[in-house]
Amino acid sequence: MQQPDKILDYLETVRCQIRWKRAQPIVLEELRNHIFDQMEAYQKSGLDDEKATDQTLAQMGDPVMVGQQLDRAHRPRPDWTLLGLTGVILLLGLVVQNVVGSDSENMRAIEHQIIWASISIVVLFASYFADFTIIGKYPKFIFIFLCALIIASFYFSKTVNGRVINVIYPLLLFPTVYAGFVYSMRNKGYRGIILCVAAFIIPAFLALFVLSLTILFLLCASCLIILTVSILKGWFQVKKNGALLILYLSTLLVLSVLGMMSLGMFGDAYAQSIRVTINPDLDSTGYGYVGTVIQQLLSHSQFIGEGLPIGSFETNRVSDFLPDINTNYLLTYLIYQFGWIALIIVVVLFTAFIVRAGMLCKKQKSVLGYLTSLAIILTFAVQIIVYIVSNLGFLLLPPLFLPLMSYGGVALVINMLLIGFLLSVFRTETLMKEETEISKTVAQG
Amino acid sequence: MSVDKSLLAGSTTMLILKLLEEADMYGYQMIEELSIKSKNVFELKAGTLYPLLHLLEQKEFVTSYDKSTDQARMRKYYSITKAGLKHLHEKKREWQRVASAVNNVLGGVSLATA
Repeated sequence: MQQPDKILDYLETVRCQIRWKRAQPIVLEELRNHIFDQMEAYQKSGLDDEKATDQTLAQMGDPVMVGQQLDRAHRPRPDWTLLGLTGVILLLGLVVQNVVGSDSENMRAIEHQIIWASISIVVLFASYFADFTIIGKYPKFIFIFLCALIIASFYFSKTVNGRVINVIYPLLLFPTVYAGFVYSMRNKGYRGIILCVAAFIIPAFLALFVLSLTILFLLCASCLIILTVSILKGWFQVKKNGALLILYLSTLLVLSVLGMMSLGMFGDAYAQSIRVTINPDLDSTGYGYVGTVIQQLLSHSQFIGEGLPIGSFETNRVSDFLPDINTNYLLTYLIYQFGWIALIIVVVLFTAFIVRAGMLCKKQKSVLGYLTSLAIILTFAVQIIVYIVSNLGFLLLPPLFLPLMSYGGVALVINMLLIGFLLSVFRTETLMKEETEISKTVAQG
Repeated sequence: MSVDKSLLAGSTTMLILKLLEEADMYGYQMIEELSIKSKNVFELKAGTLYPLLHLLEQKEFVTSYDKSTDQARMRKYYSITKAGLKHLHEKKREWQRVASAVNNVLGGVSLATA
């Protein structure tokens, strides 16, 4: 049916009242359908086109009023709980860094961290307003761009103890960008799944080169979960069991090839680190040193208050014998200095964050929103879990970052960038959906 | 036939939820049903209905899903949630209290002639 100018004018007037652009197409689509239903009914009752149009628009009501009411119903709102938790964790992180800084007489560090924190707040709002939908608009372009960035950062960055540290930062963004890639491969069947697994090879390979099992674990866990969920939700439109089998077999193949290559190159280092992780005393001055110190600190910690003096160390100042307390072993330090209560507070805050985000993710109707928020939640969950576990002395996976708390500007900015995207997913409430949706409800109809 | 709109203000939510309690419906259908059920007394304007439905969706009293029709037109169906049912029952009780109070004041006027 052609759309008479009057109807177009009416819809345009309504559209102009709705300030939130993303709400406009969805709302207008519903109104347009309503108008056609109503016009058909009037035409069937014998009215000519012109009269049917006029009557229909009269029945709709004043377009400015209607638009204003719809505008009120569709205002983007941030999720205040998540934003609040982010603020609390960030602030707590700065307080803790200040304590650590004054303890180790490194006051420059806190100044740095405050500057980075300010930058990261700007970045959070920038990515919140930039909106996660850009990931869905140019998924392949962003994916290729990030891969190029990862490779570039591999070649053009300093090496610290054989590790190319700077590669870790762009890799932290990988699961989120990967979610966009998976989104672009939905409806593509088995070919889509294979391509998704192939797309995962580059970062996995580089993660091995970075010599960071933690980042490899983070990438594998989050990307596999994203793919598994996508298959189970039927977004690839293939038989679920067969697809899962293909996914896990091909992942296993990729990982074992990579694993063998890396064992050939760095096998001894890995084997030694695993042996020592299981029993730090094997090498209590070399690889096992940190593990041994953590065990001693934790065994002397109290529930509330500073830990008991440790006989084998001359000073009681943790920074003198445990390295990297502001970056890698912040929690161990806090537990010894302030008691197990510090761990409980940190765990409660992060659990609240993850649970809240998870609840909102579950409610997402849009495929892209669901995948993006899932990817970001996983990126955080893995970082947090690995950090806590390693700070309790189990060092098979060395700590990466305690999001928003551990020292380091770039990681802070990247994590805040991810939170900005996460919040932008959740401000869409239930409104957003895909242009070419394959929702289950259609299949029922 | 039309009645004073202010009499209806505030109870539109209840009427919509009541319709959805019986079946999932799309917007146009709700207006039609309401008109039939109320014997043309309640002529709800589309411009009132949709903002209200969207607010109800935000409050999680209703959820929506798309369904394509034979004319390849997508229709947005609304469906009542548990919270919506609870809200409906509260509203209904409230309405019955008000209605009986009004009748008491008016002095036993029967509803048929009111």
